Amino acid sequence: MSRKVPIALGGALALAALPFAISDFWIFIAIEVLAFALYAVSFNVLLGYGGMLSFGHAAFFGIGAYAAALLVKKAGMAPGLAFALFPLAAMAAAALVAAIIGFFSVRRSGIYFGMLTFAFQMLLYTIALKATGLTGGDDGITGLKPPGAFARPAVYYYFALAITVPALYVLYRLVSSPFGTILRALRSNPRRVQTIGVNVRSHQLAAFVISGAFAGLAGALFAMSSGNVFPGWLNWTASATPIVMAVLGGVSTFLGPALGAAVYVVLEVMISGRTEYWPLAMGVIILALVLLMPAGLTGLARARRT
Amino acid sequence: MQSLLETFAQHFAWMHNPVVVARQALAGISNGMLLFLIAAGLSLIFGVLRIINFAHGALFMLGAFIAVSLSGWLPDGSASFVAMLIGATAGLAVIGVAIESGLLRRIYRAPHEFQLLLTFALVFILGDAVKLIWGNQDHSVATPPLLVGSTQALGVTFPTYRLFLIAAGIAVALGLWWVLHKTRWGIFVRAATMDRAMLGALGVNTRVLFTTVFALGAALAGLGGALAAPVVSIGPGLHVQVIIDAFVVVVIGGMGSVMGAFVASLLVGLVNAFGILAFPGLSVVLTFACMAVVLIVRPWGLFGSPE
Repeated sequence: MSRKVPIALGGALALAALPFAISDFWIFIAIEVLAFALYAVSFNVLLGYGGMLSFGHAAFFGIGAYAAALLVKKAGMAPGLAFALFPLAAMAAAALVAAIIGFFSVRRSGIYFGMLTFAFQMLLYTIALKATGLTGGDDGITGLKPPGAFARPAVYYYFALAITVPALYVLYRLVSSPFGTILRALRSNPRRVQTIGVNVRSHQLAAFVISGAFAGLAGALFAMSSGNVFPGWLNWTASATPIVMAVLGGVSTFLGPALGAAVYVVLEVMISGRTEYWPLAMGVIILALVLLMPAGLTGLARARRT
Repeated sequence: MQSLLETFAQHFAWMHNPVVVARQALAGISNGMLLFLIAAGLSLIFGVLRIINFAHGALFMLGAFIAVSLSGWLPDGSASFVAMLIGATAGLAVIGVAIESGLLRRIYRAPHEFQLLLTFALVFILGDAVKLIWGNQDHSVATPPLLVGSTQALGVTFPTYRLFLIAAGIAVALGLWWVLHKTRWGIFVRAATMDRAMLGALGVNTRVLFTTVFALGAALAGLGGALAAPVVSIGPGLHVQVIIDAFVVVVIGGMGSVMGAFVASLLVGLVNAFGILAFPGLSVVLTFACMAVVLIVRPWGLFGSPE
């Protein structure tokens, strides 16, 4: 504990000072890192703690993004009010969708759980693509802009930071709580947990809804920064992203996936700036990750220490 | 209420036209046969290797692109078309052996997310490899001279190539059934679907079995790609949609069941074909809805068996 406090303080200072040290372009990237860090950590609450592999987590990221975009563009609210409400709206929409998908999905385990989440995600993707009147179809929703001073990258960065850090703290408290202990127990032996008298499904559903809600918040934060949202955000290839980030950082630590998100986003910026073949590069990186360093970056660091 | 019923009935007005129904049924069945060639491999691979191969659509796409290249090199003619089919099938079998023995073999014991990531990585790599080799534009392959034009049957004119696709799909399905039920290798494959550990304990070389099953699955996808080449536009994004349809088929039919893949392929092909007539734009939603219902009610699929 004594070692953790200075590290946390140092990290907070570094995050707060960041916009003074980098250009606007990199502030945008830093905002993307914050959003995807929250996304990856929320995904890993399911995978790393609960042992539930969702093949369709992009659904919640996308729903959050669409909810925020619709609130800002179509609800007819004052821009300031809509901006103040969008994080809550995104979380509520994603939580609602996660409750419905989760209700059906947690009845199955392992690979069948994954396939159910996948099926619902593709259903939502198709709706986002076809419900042109609401979602703009293939063209997505563009031209999102935070009001007033929030449109400045540095200000929006602090806004995103002020949401991401408390959100991560809430998730951290959650996985450190008795609820988190039950989740970890479910990962190793669901039958035994059931025998003790714990309702397995309701705990899995609660974890699914919480994870989905925070993934939705992450999607909304990213949409308001990038200025748009597209149906592709809900497509199946997008569901690889949180899995790669979590495995890259290491699924057995709380902040490992956040580190994975940072490395992934920066790699994407650097590689896709030089070549159009970013997917090829990412494929090779994933292969290397899966075959050579299965414990991720945090696992690598731990192995060097011991 | 009356008008609501009328609007609903309008969606089904095509039903009164038997020619439209027959043509659409044929299109649906022939597309279903192409789906079957992909889904059968996907299902077999899951049954034996316990891996969902998301890269299977990319293997189908490679088959189609190999067909593009071969049809460019070979003279026009029906013999060249046969050579093209054989080339794509054999090419994908070789690629399948390479993928299984070079990559998949290393991660059978790893957690699910690693297997998922590995096949996703193949999707990204093969998707870009196709762009690097064949470029970004769409390609097409000519229908072989023997199968050009249309055929009269039951008073309706059908495109001959579509009829050929149906015949080819049925031939492959029968061939697969024969291999799986009448050969020693087929018995091992079906046994592995039920209990891999027991099969290994009985002294069967599961290493070779896994490699050959993956190679067969890849070869079927390659054949499917080459057969589809004259009726689809062959571009770098082809695999993204193809794998989704195949995945839906395998889930509905039951992971690991070739019979289920056949029935579900027909079902999905027909739902797509008639869904487009009844609810243009929403037909894709129909197939996913079918899949979700099957997963909820009978998660092991229509022809699968519960774990």
